[in-house]
Amino acid sequence: MTFNKKFLTGITFTAALTVLAACGGGGDGGEQTENAGEETTGISIFQSKVEISEQLEAAAAAYEEETGVPVEVIGTTGDDYAQQLQIRLNNQTGPSIFSIQNFEEATRLESYLYDLSGEDFVGDIAPDMELMLEDKLVGIPYGVEGFGIVYNKDLVDPADIADYDSLVSTIEDFNAEGINGFGLSSEAYFLIGHISNYPFSIQEDPQAFMDQVTNGEVTLAETPEFQKFGEFMEVVRENTPNPLDKTYDTQVGDFAAGKTAMIHQGNWAAGMLDEFEVDFEVGMAPFPLEGNDKLAVGVGSNWAVNGDKDQAEIDAAIEFLNWLHTSETGQKFIVEDFGFIPAMTNIEAGDLDPLSQAVLEASNSGETIPWSHNYYPANVVPNDFTPAAESFFVNEDMTGDELIENLQAAWENAAQ
Amino acid sequence: MGILRKWSKEILLLAMAIVFLSPIYIIFVNSFKNRRELYENTLAPPTEFTLEFYEGAMARMDFFNAFLNSMYVTVVSVIFIVILSSMTAWMLARNANWISTVIFMTLIATMLIPFQTIMMPLMQLVTGITRSTGIPLYNSLSGLIFMNVGFNAALSVFLYHGFVKSIPISLEEAATIDGASKLGVFWRVVFPILTPITATVMILNVILIWNDFLLPSLTLIDKELRTIPLSVFYFFGEFTIEWNMAMAGLTLTIIPVVIFYMISQKYIIKGIGEGAVK
Amino acid sequence: MAKRNKIGWYLLFTVPLLIIFTIVVIIPFVIGIYYAFFQWDGISANPMEFNGLDNFFRLMDDERFLRSTWLTVLFTVLSVITVNAVGLAFALLVTSKLKLANLARTMLFMPYLIGGLILGYIWQFVFLDVFTLIGGITGLDSLFFNWLNDEDFALFALVLVFTWQMAGYVMIVYIAGLQGIPGEVVEAAKMDGASGWQRFSRITVPLLMPAFTISLFLTLSYGFKIYDVNLSLTGGGPANATELFAMNIYNEIFGYNNYGYGQAKAIVFFVIVAAITLTQVYLTKKREVEM
Repeated sequence: MTFNKKFLTGITFTAALTVLAACGGGGDGGEQTENAGEETTGISIFQSKVEISEQLEAAAAAYEEETGVPVEVIGTTGDDYAQQLQIRLNNQTGPSIFSIQNFEEATRLESYLYDLSGEDFVGDIAPDMELMLEDKLVGIPYGVEGFGIVYNKDLVDPADIADYDSLVSTIEDFNAEGINGFGLSSEAYFLIGHISNYPFSIQEDPQAFMDQVTNGEVTLAETPEFQKFGEFMEVVRENTPNPLDKTYDTQVGDFAAGKTAMIHQGNWAAGMLDEFEVDFEVGMAPFPLEGNDKLAVGVGSNWAVNGDKDQAEIDAAIEFLNWLHTSETGQKFIVEDFGFIPAMTNIEAGDLDPLSQAVLEASNSGETIPWSHNYYPANVVPNDFTPAAESFFVNEDMTGDELIENLQAAWENAAQ
Repeated sequence: MGILRKWSKEILLLAMAIVFLSPIYIIFVNSFKNRRELYENTLAPPTEFTLEFYEGAMARMDFFNAFLNSMYVTVVSVIFIVILSSMTAWMLARNANWISTVIFMTLIATMLIPFQTIMMPLMQLVTGITRSTGIPLYNSLSGLIFMNVGFNAALSVFLYHGFVKSIPISLEEAATIDGASKLGVFWRVVFPILTPITATVMILNVILIWNDFLLPSLTLIDKELRTIPLSVFYFFGEFTIEWNMAMAGLTLTIIPVVIFYMISQKYIIKGIGEGAVK
Repeated sequence: MAKRNKIGWYLLFTVPLLIIFTIVVIIPFVIGIYYAFFQWDGISANPMEFNGLDNFFRLMDDERFLRSTWLTVLFTVLSVITVNAVGLAFALLVTSKLKLANLARTMLFMPYLIGGLILGYIWQFVFLDVFTLIGGITGLDSLFFNWLNDEDFALFALVLVFTWQMAGYVMIVYIAGLQGIPGEVVEAAKMDGASGWQRFSRITVPLLMPAFTISLFLTLSYGFKIYDVNLSLTGGGPANATELFAMNIYNEIFGYNNYGYGQAKAIVFFVIVAAITLTQVYLTKKREVEM
């Protein structure tokens, strides 16, 4: 019993203490937030690219030092960004600046997007890289990114993968040698999202084509580019280890270890290749579907300003973006710290890794195909394309044509 | 026969314990490996025990600040939960009328609601209250504590309720005759007997609250307020995880809970001894 | 006077908690019910259209939802059995006079200390590396392969991981229950010549009913609303073969942006699950022995 008595007194005592502490603490918290609102107009940033969080915090600190405007960077994991953004916008605690991925997302959040068309610095955005909703400019590109076939120069001669037939026979030859000739991985975009771009993007007018698919004027199954794409996916399934057994980590790991000769990836993989300390040269080649000889280049994320805030905060947010893209310090952050390939003509690219260099060169020469997935129905890749691709890789008897039909059904389901 | 059976039991227990511990092993060894080493062999011990990733993780997480926040939130929440839910459970169990039944059933029914379906209305309500009354429910540790109490109340009342019944009512009656108030009866007679279940309630709540990510991530904005699970976010990228940092961070996160568990589980066991004496 | 006094005490003991609980859980839940009658994408600036009971009718021929419901029920039934069997066995082992009992009690509880998200990632390693390794060595590759890529086995993988996570948790509850059984009752039975099994089935089990009530309910409720492990282990795949209920709602709300419809699903499922589990609680509570 003695123990219990002590335990009890202890607990009551601490309880009493903490009630006091809680009240005290609570009061402080409240005052802090209110003060921040009254003094100077601070801004907050919420964005999905976790990889640049710390660098962005550093940029925010530098900005605050220069101008005295406090900038709060709100943290999140990559997974739940969209959902958290939605909740914050709904309860009017939204950030002043946030990131949006693409056109579909912008359409949905239209009422929160401030029209940036009138700002000076947006004039420097490279052609076609801005995010437009009709005639309103609502998103400033983070940077340019590109994907294609990332290959090991020791194992692959680019001439051998320059057209569709030789790509297929190269993959088959590698399979005979026990090497993975074409690595995909299980994440939604790395499994089907990015690679599914090609049959759309090599259409004469991809956006018009997608509209036709949505309206039912044309089906994927009757389009030759898609038939060929389905055929290629069969080649992948027959000649490579199941991509569902691979994660992004092991996909790149296999490549770095020389067990995989080619992977379908983008220039963002350069960072991970570094971590794996690759000891060979890598290159990026276009995916030669139906004679395509261009890399797919686009914008992965855009800065947007929350138009739901009061004008002072909106102005402060724009001022920050202006500083980031025009001042020497800001540009240095974009190029060196964030490691972006700038999508602004007034920003000089930094020292680039070979993959980013390939993307930059393609982008500068205009020899690119667009990222169609930015115009897919909202979330169709994780919601519907991925299950379709998964069942294709799990069921050996499903044909490429059936995969295409399932993608068609997925599209219809998402677009309704 | 006895000895053989006893030994086979010991061995079975040891085997199970090792199987159950294996993921902790995976977490621990991979907190020392770089990406290449992790890729080459996830299960092997690391080639060297470098503290590099621990130091890195601690610096990037602003560990001590986050630790204090987590500690404060967890301790205060759990104390409130224990006090309020044990009192409620005792009253509900000892007054078995229809109101008590309705309250009890409502409490436990809400344990079936997936958090994802109420988080949006909850955040609207909470920020609405903060905006209209100035009570800092949003973006403050006190507000987080308040919500923790609300969300974990049902589980705790449920746990207490079942065990209140196993306390002989005669003890309480004796104390009442001696002139003790309800409050006195509860704190001097009932609560001490509840010690084993209090320890259980504390353990389960400490873990839930200490590890919680979703609720704090929705309610806390200021960087200074981040709890430990929130500050680990840096390591979880869009497409990949910085395994070594994340595992180091995770190891640091679970150590305090393990210590707490080892200390408090004694009271679950100690409860027997005392129960037997009575 | 005495009666008023009694009510006063009753309120004093229960009301503080109930107020907090109402604000945090009940009101948001009711607001959620309200949304179920609207066609809405979850963005407050976008139009909300009242559509009566349409969301509820739509449920009935939503095949993906029905499949997900069936999977969730299957998952939960399997898990409740395995978690409680394993958890009770552990509790009996670690409360017997074994040398390793103290150590084991900590070790067995460890999985629960790690959040569900991390756990799922770790088990991906296990299925991918360890299982294929064991399959390769023993030749039993029809049993030891990557379960996560098999439309049937992926669900069992979830059951396995969930059991492994929760067994230590219900063990704690069972330990607390076992501690509550007075030693003299068991001793008396021993003297009367009751065998080990008789003592277990006639004394331990009935006296353990409160612990059963709690453990069954906890596993039922955690099973029905499992999300973390589901997300990180299988992500609902392959091909939606493991898309359990909470994930289905989540995808409806935040993936397809059908907020109202997602809420309607949540409510229907809540009603079904509440009916099942409250019946369970009612039945097992009735069998609890009052001392």
